[in-house]
Amino acid sequence: MKIVVTVKLVPDPNGVKNIDPATKRLVRAGVETVINPYDEYALEAALQLKERVGGDSTVTVFCMSPESLKESLRKALAMGADGAVMLSDAALEGSDVWASAHAMSLALKRIGFDLLVVGGLTDDGSTGAVPGALAEFLGVPCLTNVRKIDIADGKVRVERETDGGYQEVTGALPMLVTTALTIGEPRYPSLKGIMGAKKKPIEMLSVADIGAGDAVGAAASKTELLSFAPPPARGAGKIVTPEDPAAGAATILAFLQEKKLV
Amino acid sequence: MKNVIVYVEQKKGATRKVTFEMLSEARKIADALGGRAVAVVLGSGAAQVAEQIKGYPVDAIQLVEDPAVEQFLLDPIVHYVELAAKNVGPSLILIPNTLSGRDLAGRLLARLNAGVAADVTEIVVTNGRVECVSPKLGGALVTHCVLRAGDYGIATIRPGAFTAAPGGSGAQIERHDVSNATYALAIERDVEEGSGEMALEEAPVVIAGGRGMGGAEPFTSMLKPLADAFGGAVGASRAAADAGWVSYSLQIGQTGKTVSPPLYIAVGISGAIQHKVGMRASGTIVAINKDASAPIAEFADLTVVGDAFAIVPELTKLVTAAKQ
Ligand SMILES: Cc1cc2nc3c(=O)[nH]c(=O)nc-3n(C[C@H](O)[C@H](O)[C@H](O)COP(=O)(O)OP(=O)(O)OC[C@H]3O[C@@H](n4cnc5c(N)ncnc54)[C@H](O)[C@@H]3O)c2cc1C
Ligand SMILES: Cc1cc2nc3c(=O)[nH]c(=O)nc-3n(C[C@H](O)[C@H](O)[C@H](O)COP(=O)(O)OP(=O)(O)OC[C@H]3O[C@@H](n4cnc5c(N)ncnc54)[C@H](O)[C@@H]3O)c2cc1C
Repeated sequence: MKIVVTVKLVPDPNGVKNIDPATKRLVRAGVETVINPYDEYALEAALQLKERVGGDSTVTVFCMSPESLKESLRKALAMGADGAVMLSDAALEGSDVWASAHAMSLALKRIGFDLLVVGGLTDDGSTGAVPGALAEFLGVPCLTNVRKIDIADGKVRVERETDGGYQEVTGALPMLVTTALTIGEPRYPSLKGIMGAKKKPIEMLSVADIGAGDAVGAAASKTELLSFAPPPARGAGKIVTPEDPAAGAATILAFLQEKKLV
Repeated sequence: MKNVIVYVEQKKGATRKVTFEMLSEARKIADALGGRAVAVVLGSGAAQVAEQIKGYPVDAIQLVEDPAVEQFLLDPIVHYVELAAKNVGPSLILIPNTLSGRDLAGRLLARLNAGVAADVTEIVVTNGRVECVSPKLGGALVTHCVLRAGDYGIATIRPGAFTAAPGGSGAQIERHDVSNATYALAIERDVEEGSGEMALEEAPVVIAGGRGMGGAEPFTSMLKPLADAFGGAVGASRAAADAGWVSYSLQIGQTGKTVSPPLYIAVGISGAIQHKVGMRASGTIVAINKDASAPIAEFADLTVVGDAFAIVPELTKLVTAAKQ
């Protein structure tokens, strides 16, 4: 079975974020690039499936990103992916969700897959719209927020989390799933994995390779995005270390009464 | 883009507060664009929901009472909203920014070749130009996303960001025929676990507990009484849900619910970025944490440093007394 996992490279969620007042863009310098945390769970799910299904199953990581971030993808290979494909092209700059998902779908068609495992949400754009759009462009069923996957005879049985519980649904390959975090904590790369990752291939694709023509980048996008520094943060909060618990509780009550919340 | 379509999420004849917020906002946008505002309600409970929303200022409510909506995964909904959009013509489609709302937005985006603006908290229309405002990266920046005028546009709407205002002269209810489309993904089992779900997003006060609670028991014996004293609801961090202390339906944050109550009290929660994005827009944030350097102290309006197990019961007594 050929399993492909989509992985986005994002600024470290725990890093400090600053906006350049001149360009109004996020200052990337000094902020580490990491694999989108959600996508590590998607990769973990794929690696577990490969281990369970066995045979000649493979896990390939796919990423659309500037080539300069290529080395940040090694962690996925160190975790156990067999190889990676990266779609990089200056023409992709400024792509919105429509243009990104469209270009990604062309690349994914070329790569080919039985199962496509996608993360639920990114830490930067966080639209959560890419998985559904990919499924449509690829013409495959879309099962989202999955916490358990069983595959037998080309049939995929999943348990998916909903807002207030879970559902069981069965579909056929090829298909797209997105993973819930409850699918399992991502593994840490082993030392052997890290060493091996250096030798694993990262195949590069360009816009010409996928035949996307003009349907890429800012010009093909359906949106125009401007970013700004946020409005002034709420006034700095108070930090109080009370004498005793009763004084702590009284401090809170007085504060809430002042704000007319009690 | 001239008209506005509101997708009304419903389950068993009940809808969420965000529906009323979207219906009210849709009117304003449609007026600014000089178009119509149309609500789309799907599934077995649709007629019941139409009754609940008809006091809101939309021009029409389209109903399709097709049981396939409950029997199959999302596909029937994608199908009917696509149909509605194609009937109405290039329009702005408002969808709640929930788990299934995001799925729907992605699917429609490809079918309608539409632009999407996600997690929208404000919509500004100037001379036919629709600009959607969203806080991103845990509030580190604010994006303004302009949807191309000639195309369809989709905005996923943050619950609690807009104000619900009933009014209007009564929407026209239009019943549409069930389509003969077939769908592949049947829902074989549908299990409801948490019941507090609607209450959490709609509660005026949320008392959220984290890993610092150390177990399931304090959620019922300590946090629930405080929530009751306020007339609020209990929520949780992912760590608490992962530990199995509470149901995931109570989880607040990036992978859980987004809440913005007038008052949020975080008890034994460190304030990780993924938690922050789900509660940052709350009116007032109070933290009780034994560590003065926990990240939550950086964005709470008041942080009281100390042992939650000693402070919370005292606070419950004070609030109960003050409310009498
Ligand atoms: C701050 C910010 C705000 C933005 N707001 C908008 C907006 O409102 N509307 C809009 O159209 N665009 C927006 N964009 C652009 C958008 O982020 C990109 O088009 C992006 O490639 C896909 O969207 P996403 O990050 O929202 O992905 P999501 O839909 O949140 O991602 C879900 C999953 O899809 C996969 N995935 C997503 N992108 C990639 C990738 N490049 N490579 C591999 N896998 C991927 C991952 O597995 C991920 O977990 C924004 C970008 C930023 C940085
Ligand atoms: C992709 C992804 C998505 C995620 N989504 C979410 C999400 O939606 N929601 C979410 O919440 N998290 C989410 N997380 C997890 C998040 O990163 C944190 O791990 C989590 O929020 C921590 O929960 P916590 O604050 O309860 O626990 P901790 O970080 O362990 O904090 C516990 C706090 O309790 C305090 N404490 C302990 N004992 C006491 C006491 N007796 N009295 C007072 N204070 C005490 C401690 O000082 C500490 O600050 C996500 C993570 C990832 C990678």
